[in-house]
Amino acid sequence: MSDETTVMIGLEIHASLNTKSKLFCSCSTDAVEPNTSVCQVCLGHPGSKPVLNEKAVEFATKIGLALNCKINEDFFFSRKTYFYPDMASNYQITQYEIPVAENGFVFLNSGKKVGIKRAHVEWDPAALIHPSGMGKSSYVLIDYNRSGMPLIEIVTQPDLSSPAEAREFMNLLENVLGYLQVLKPNTTLKVDCNISINGGERTEIKNVSGFAAVEKALTFELARQKQEVKRGNKIEQHTRAFNAETGTTVELRKKETEADYGYIFDPDLVKVTLSKEFLAKTKAELPELPEQKAKRLQEQYKLSEYDARVLCSDLALGKLFDSIVSKSGDAITAARLLTREVLAVLNHDSLSLAGVEVKAEDLLELVQLLASGKVSDKNAKAAVINYISGDKSSPKNFLEKNNLFISASIDLDSIITKVINANRKAVVDYAGGNEKSLNFLAGLVMRETKGTVSPQKVLEELKKKLS
Amino acid sequence: MVKREETIAFFVEQAKEDFSLVEKNLAGVITEIKSSSAKKLNYIEEFDAADVLRQVAELKKAKYKGKLFGVPVSVKDAICVKGIESKAGSKILKGYKPLFDANVIERARAEGAIILAKTTQDEFGFGTFATHTEKVPKNPFDNERSCGGSSGGAAGFTAFTKNFHVAIGESTGGSIAAPASFCGCVGITPTYGLVSRYGLIDYANSLDKIGTIGKNAEDSALLLEVIAGYDARDSTSLQNAFKKEDAPIKRIAVIKDFFDGCDDEVKKVVQKKISELKKFYEVEEVSLPLNVKYALAAYYIIATCEASTNLAKLSGLRYGAQGTVEGKHFDEYFSEIRSKEFSDEAKRRIILGTFARMSGYRDAYYLKAMRVRTKLINEFNNAFKRYDLLLNPTMPVVAPKFDEIEKLTPLQNFAMDLCTGPANLAGLPHISVNAGFINGLPVGLMAIAPHLQERRLYSFAKVME
Repeated sequence: MSDETTVMIGLEIHASLNTKSKLFCSCSTDAVEPNTSVCQVCLGHPGSKPVLNEKAVEFATKIGLALNCKINEDFFFSRKTYFYPDMASNYQITQYEIPVAENGFVFLNSGKKVGIKRAHVEWDPAALIHPSGMGKSSYVLIDYNRSGMPLIEIVTQPDLSSPAEAREFMNLLENVLGYLQVLKPNTTLKVDCNISINGGERTEIKNVSGFAAVEKALTFELARQKQEVKRGNKIEQHTRAFNAETGTTVELRKKETEADYGYIFDPDLVKVTLSKEFLAKTKAELPELPEQKAKRLQEQYKLSEYDARVLCSDLALGKLFDSIVSKSGDAITAARLLTREVLAVLNHDSLSLAGVEVKAEDLLELVQLLASGKVSDKNAKAAVINYISGDKSSPKNFLEKNNLFISASIDLDSIITKVINANRKAVVDYAGGNEKSLNFLAGLVMRETKGTVSPQKVLEELKKKLS
Repeated sequence: MVKREETIAFFVEQAKEDFSLVEKNLAGVITEIKSSSAKKLNYIEEFDAADVLRQVAELKKAKYKGKLFGVPVSVKDAICVKGIESKAGSKILKGYKPLFDANVIERARAEGAIILAKTTQDEFGFGTFATHTEKVPKNPFDNERSCGGSSGGAAGFTAFTKNFHVAIGESTGGSIAAPASFCGCVGITPTYGLVSRYGLIDYANSLDKIGTIGKNAEDSALLLEVIAGYDARDSTSLQNAFKKEDAPIKRIAVIKDFFDGCDDEVKKVVQKKISELKKFYEVEEVSLPLNVKYALAAYYIIATCEASTNLAKLSGLRYGAQGTVEGKHFDEYFSEIRSKEFSDEAKRRIILGTFARMSGYRDAYYLKAMRVRTKLINEFNNAFKRYDLLLNPTMPVVAPKFDEIEKLTPLQNFAMDLCTGPANLAGLPHISVNAGFINGLPVGLMAIAPHLQERRLYSFAKVME
């Protein structure tokens, strides 16, 4: 028996679509105060009827196209019936037999192809609020603002073979959704994770929020399944819940097949037929997607594959790059600044570009200074740190204030002469073959120049003087 | 022959000139509603005198005098009227006052109608005799007998009142034609989608059709013309409303299969009437073997599947009947309310419908029934290639006595929809007109037209009258 464990992971990802109104009524999707954006439709009042929001269909079609799916020109909605207090009608309007999109794929960075089984549109239930925490409250509040919000559910084939790969896929997917600008801001992707090992039965971990949690839940579940198999136990198909606090999964309920929901066609809605014109228009409107953009940046600016990928891994970062380059910033320098310095500061401080005020013009100035050799990498880094996490003054102002430019007026020659004269012992040691003495002298010169001259240059000049 | 002075159109013409006629007619109707005899007969589910008076005051000031100016219009309980309890004859919706008017109510109001009262019905339309509810309407021709259902109160009150009035009813599988037949009224069920369902408390959404019941064909037709039309809030609403009346009706056919299951007396009355029609039309016979064999089965599967999902929302959480929730899991609370407030008939249909859409049965029942429906529509359409209208007795019997109804098994109950079920399943417009009487009890004749050919039905009914 081989020690190799084959892991099959498939994800069902729920994302909120960024429409102005809800999926089947005209209520706003932007309300803050609980239960202020509700009507007879999303409250499930008798007599009300749903009317499909066409924008949601457009967004779903875009997502389908971006994930290389076949778009179904005819599709319809179904009722999935189950009783739960967050479900205004006790049935969810979703898609069953024919989704908007199916049979797509994406490529991970490794070149691995991940199949997309389907993408369908459905409405979100209301939000249940447990005032003292889950299981600890004597009552539960219901906020119907979320009831009827549009969701897209994207289902992958079980092609992912590790928790890390699942996380990579999630990053990639969120990035694509970001590029399409179809994702509701400030919402998290909610994921049902299916995992099986060695061709055994799968378990489903329901409703995991966020990327790190997905990786964690799957890692735990993988270890658990391995352990069970090692003990000679058989994995049976069932549903589990993830506890984000403990990082563990617990059994929720035994096997529950889909069709127990008693799906029927929603008789309040009619078949949707996408016209040839609509499909052509939607295709034409698709923005440049991350993969395409990365290829273009490599060709157009001779960026490395790594830099190009990193720049395209985040919509805002890519846009920042475009903006700097369009204002005649040097592409290679800009790419280096963004992928090294800017990302390093953001990652270090757990920030995202969306959450900080970074202006293309400010970075453009820095790129220009770097490209023309007027600032050292070291000082550029300091300027970026200050720009994002310090007093937030622009990099150029920071450099000016601290007099950190490499200026022609600096008399490197006389600084070196001064240092040599004041440190005769080191000069003698160097002459005697002690390389460390050269570094000591260079350090002193650097200090005198306040880092406005590159270390290479200083070493070069020192050697010349001492030879 | 209906006299012109007996029609609503005539009343409206007069009322536009003299508002006191509106007040007088309305006072007459209100007196009837409040009379002890009417109270015993159970036609009215909900009547709000203050609301009616407010409408009259507004109407008096109205600049536009519409097609239904001053006409009291009663409304089947399942149709939402803003601020007026609307519970589709069910205890579980007790206290539900909709936040909005149904589209048909808006349209009727816009033409000057006075929304009079809610009329009694089988709970959610689940029945053929209006007996599956707390307030059972009694036939004005014989109080020991049923009005028919489910729009029983609508037809009963239409026959009962001596004043100008017309009723909005609703039919899923025959709920307009059946009570119209038993109460000697004219009931029109339009093409599915012609009248907006916005504001209708659903029974089976793919089958529900709001229609009209009047004392004569002209009244029913007038109201239908007002309430029909496209409505963006109902996705199944049709944009290309009525078809213009094309060539005059020439050939009609009697659906002979539907006669076979009818009482002999009923057959005789209807056949006699049809023989009189031969003066006006070529009359032939047609057979619809698929419909007679499969329509009711397909109808009851689709209707109960849809109904069982529609009723899921009624769980005592946001509106209607409530109970105490303390210490109960939500499942427990939902079950308690639903067990207590739904009638046995509603429970029967929920169980049937849930069964037929569950895994393992869905393909065999629900999906098959959906496919069968298409075949049955085709069978009708083929017949319409040769005939302008199809005829059959509306009901296989005259209004039965309540104690007779009690003895019927559920299956015998369902079988009463033999003649009305197929056209309803196919979404075809149909009308029930009185064809005569048996021992003083009305017998209805039903005419079915192709989709959107409602106007053929009006002209046919006028010939009948």
